[in-house]
Amino acid sequence: MCVKHTSIPNKKYSGGDEVLRFLLNRLGQSAILLLIVTIITFFLINLAPGGPASTMRMDASPEERQAMVEKLGLDQPIHIRYIDWITNALKGDLGVSFTSSEPVVQRIAERLPYTIELTVFTIILSITIGILFGVISAIKRGKAQDHVINFFSVLGLSVPAFWLGLMLILLFSINLGWLPSSGVGARGADFNFWGWISHLIMPVLILTTTVLPNIVRFTRSSMLEVISQNYIRTARAKGAKESIVLYVHALRNALIPVVTIIGVLIPRLLSGAVITEAIFGWTGIGTLILEAARGRDYPLVMGVTVVITVVVVLCNLIVDLIYSRIDPRVKNV
Amino acid sequence: MKTKKWRFMSVILVFFLLLAGCSYGGDSSNSSGDQSEGEGTGSDPKKGGKVSIPIVADPTFNPWHPNAYAESNVVNRVLFSGLTQPGKDLAPSPDLATKWETSDDELEWTFYLRDDVLWHDGEKFTAEDVAYTFNEIVLNAELGANNSSYFQKVKEVQVVNDYEVKFIMESPVAALPAYLSFNTEIVPKHIFEGQDPWELTSFNKVNPVGTGAYKLKSYTSGQSVILERNDDFYGDVGLLDEIEYKVLPDVNTHVAQILSGELSIFALDDLASIERIEQADGVSVFGRETPRFFWIIVNHEEEKYQDKRVKQAILHAIDRQNIIDTVLKGYGTIADAGIAPALEEYYTDDVARYDYDPEKAKELLAEAGWTDTDGDGIVDKDGEPFSIDFKIGIQGDLEAVSQMVQQYLVKVGLDVKLNAMEWNAMIQDVVVNRNYEMSLNWWRYPADPDLSAYMHSANVKGNNIPHYQNPELDKLLDQGAQTSDVEERKKIYIEAQKLMAEELPYIFLWYPQEAQVRIDKLKGVPDLAFGDALHYIHEWYIEE
Amino acid sequence: MEVSTNQDYGSKTMTKVKQRKDTLLARLKQNKIAYFSLWFLIILHLIVFLGPFFWTINPEELQEVGSLAGWSLQHPFGTDDLSRDVFARMLHGGRVTLLVGLAAMLFALLIGTLVGACAGYFGKFVESVLMRITEAMMAIPNFFFVLVALTVLGTSPVMVVVVIALCGWMEIARVVYGETLKWKEYEFVEAANASGARSIRILTKYIIPQIIPSIIVSGTLTIAAAILTESAISYLGLGIQPPTPTWGNMLQNSQQYIWTAPVLGILPGAAITIVVLAYNFLGDGLRDALDPKYVKK
Repeated sequence: MCVKHTSIPNKKYSGGDEVLRFLLNRLGQSAILLLIVTIITFFLINLAPGGPASTMRMDASPEERQAMVEKLGLDQPIHIRYIDWITNALKGDLGVSFTSSEPVVQRIAERLPYTIELTVFTIILSITIGILFGVISAIKRGKAQDHVINFFSVLGLSVPAFWLGLMLILLFSINLGWLPSSGVGARGADFNFWGWISHLIMPVLILTTTVLPNIVRFTRSSMLEVISQNYIRTARAKGAKESIVLYVHALRNALIPVVTIIGVLIPRLLSGAVITEAIFGWTGIGTLILEAARGRDYPLVMGVTVVITVVVVLCNLIVDLIYSRIDPRVKNV
Repeated sequence: MKTKKWRFMSVILVFFLLLAGCSYGGDSSNSSGDQSEGEGTGSDPKKGGKVSIPIVADPTFNPWHPNAYAESNVVNRVLFSGLTQPGKDLAPSPDLATKWETSDDELEWTFYLRDDVLWHDGEKFTAEDVAYTFNEIVLNAELGANNSSYFQKVKEVQVVNDYEVKFIMESPVAALPAYLSFNTEIVPKHIFEGQDPWELTSFNKVNPVGTGAYKLKSYTSGQSVILERNDDFYGDVGLLDEIEYKVLPDVNTHVAQILSGELSIFALDDLASIERIEQADGVSVFGRETPRFFWIIVNHEEEKYQDKRVKQAILHAIDRQNIIDTVLKGYGTIADAGIAPALEEYYTDDVARYDYDPEKAKELLAEAGWTDTDGDGIVDKDGEPFSIDFKIGIQGDLEAVSQMVQQYLVKVGLDVKLNAMEWNAMIQDVVVNRNYEMSLNWWRYPADPDLSAYMHSANVKGNNIPHYQNPELDKLLDQGAQTSDVEERKKIYIEAQKLMAEELPYIFLWYPQEAQVRIDKLKGVPDLAFGDALHYIHEWYIEE
Repeated sequence: MEVSTNQDYGSKTMTKVKQRKDTLLARLKQNKIAYFSLWFLIILHLIVFLGPFFWTINPEELQEVGSLAGWSLQHPFGTDDLSRDVFARMLHGGRVTLLVGLAAMLFALLIGTLVGACAGYFGKFVESVLMRITEAMMAIPNFFFVLVALTVLGTSPVMVVVVIALCGWMEIARVVYGETLKWKEYEFVEAANASGARSIRILTKYIIPQIIPSIIVSGTLTIAAAILTESAISYLGLGIQPPTPTWGNMLQNSQQYIWTAPVLGILPGAAITIVVLAYNFLGDGLRDALDPKYVKK
């Protein structure tokens, strides 16, 4: 689906006061959002048939299962458990993972950097290529290049990411043997550059296809809008060469709204990361939530949910702030 | 103004890059600090190299931890040692214990321990560790330790002296040495004493101290566990330098990586890609018998299943050989009773057998009163159509097998609705609440023919999920469990198998073989199932 | 031919709506790829929904020829890993997949239209609450919740449809919200307002009919997204479960045969891609056709 001109703040923040008010307002909303998200998730997972005791071996005895339930405090009523959880969470304690007995924060901290790595590379790649193709598409509007780019954009939106991933594995790992099919590569002492990059290539490509088309289309429409505006015509009238007009004037202004799309795409990127990580055994936060949900690791599910929501809220906030800083229209009002 | 904007954006970019950079700085691997790599020992050409083994999740380095599943077992077997281990004939053979004996009334077992065993941290291993492991962890009902149900009949473990322990039994358990070889490794008292054994993450997740041939070198959550040779091992010191366990949740990845040489050995559960592996150069597949059996269970609390002809009809209706060929790619043997051919001494196929014969199935159903009176293709009795809610868990090849089974049953007029459930939901319904009519799954058990846990009427609240009760079978199972004399035991279990095959407490499907996938360069692996062969990992070596 | 209806249609009577629909189709015709997509989808839906009446092999039944059999007259696409007819499974799987897409789309449209129209029409408090919720839902990576929800609540077709819809209504709500804001200013709505008609009546009688073209566009794009989501959750093993075939679970199941029978994966994967592609082209085409700035190329 095409992301339209979403979440562009139409309020006008001129002074520092307004920015502060906007910030506080946003933070307040985010806190409520976070609270609701935790309540829904908490009750949802606790409604699940089969608690942590059902994740034990099949031949675990009823006594063994009961021992597990009592040990984890799951015999308490659910609202008491939620209150306990939220009280601790507010103190910064997300509890201890049921499956590994390690602090949830630690387990997330181990995995989050990998997801960030994957998404940052994807953002860089998709923004560079996306803007390039978007601009070409706009300049060559209606010409062959535009059609080709448009076709591939729609195709990118239409291919199931995991299918494409499997096809890439089939080609590059199985048939050609060029790229590793899975994993994040050696880290720490054994780190080597090619090992790292070769593990990154396919996951980044797949994740890129999930967002690139949006950026291309967004840039294109933004660019078209700018091209049709008065000052471009003025610049042309002044006799500047057309290409310079386009690149200097139009592109700069067209890119401003593109900043906002990063904010819009971050939730999508993280969602896409779940699939991408699952295909390529990329041990990020996406594989962690899958493990946690399957293993009925309630504290871990809650922890990942909270962390992801916070990350997204923060990213959006940053993007909005950047936007309020760089949009001349906003500034000059 | 222009530059300002860009600067602002680049700051944000750098911020993200820094975050990403954390993943290299914040490496959570922990080195054991031991730098003495056995590099100078190049005289033996076999020594050196490493093997890579896939595991599907992060392991827990504690064999008794309720969250230690298969992925942990394959690591713990190498890190730790038990009193006994499966011998190359699967009969229990010495490990930490050099020999054992039982009193005449079989209520006391004495195990004589090695006196030359060191923990990986240099402490001496003694009888105290054994007593601690059992008395404080296994026999402590509040903890709900893994596999503790095998030791229900153990009252306590007494220390006789530093290298001698006594297992005091409530009633005789002939299989005790076999149980002691199955995921029942000993943990160090000097680290666990006074601690909650499940909460001790510094051991269970970070720095395990075992007695095995290899010790932990590094562990990175979600990625790999690397073990290095333990030069102080009490047995023959290992030949391989390192054992690497790669955390790879997706089974397809295992196949891809063994074909590309990134993995060395594993047991392939999903046989879909077996043909590809069989064709590949440098990789071979070995079929290995394992003590497992696949089954369909029906809830014996429901009246219609108390008639054994219904169960026999179900068996006749299913073309088991075709399922073995289609889904298991031939890696399996049709089962008649529960004792697998892996237990050569006890196994017999001289029992009632049920060939694929849909007509016979219909006859048996008719004898039991189920015929299609209204011509809707579904058999019925007293106006009640025979419809079955068939609940299975989504795991491995259970779904594929169940879909075929369903089709076969539909053909003989049973209206089977397949209900594939998420694994935990299935466990909750079928195992915990017993809210099911038919299900399909498999058991794996220690290398001992005692199947009381699964079909003895005393365990109807436990693993006797089909709720099967038969005094005759109970008696045989009790006798078998309490008889140590092998010849005597054989007779009992052969009789038990005949009874099982006739009465069908479980609708036995097949004994699956393990498809062990291994690179040809890896040698010295005994002809055992992968899990059992791990006990001999110090004999493995790489031939260049 | 330049078709221009971009001015002041609101001030006229509602017969305009019909006229707009006609011109919509006329404009769509000029977008060859979108028009082709429309016909392609019509034909494909006919094949998938009527096909099983002609191709009567039961998609769950085991066939005599054995598993992974190749092309034959009896089984044009061969048989799958459990020796079932792949062609029958493609037809029946397509039915389920497309129905899930349609149902999820309808449900998402219902929620989205309700939320968007109420927010736009009532304004004030209702607006800020509903639109904040919409924005919040857009801002969270909802796939995480999809996973948790489906893992714990089970994967019945109804659950799958509901969960997909709950993740896909926000875009629709925003579009409807914007349109409602626009239309409620028009004279005929204000006239109705002045005559004392009830809000619900005004919304359903006067405003929503005007928004229908935009809703059609959103709906088309939502089906595309819903089909993709269905296949993604199937990939993770959380979609509709066998024996019911869907393109998603066929694709998921084929994964293990990527080595030995890649064709099992190529068929449903290509089917999903083509259908989603067609829906996306159609949706884009419809949107362009509706765009007031529309210029004939």
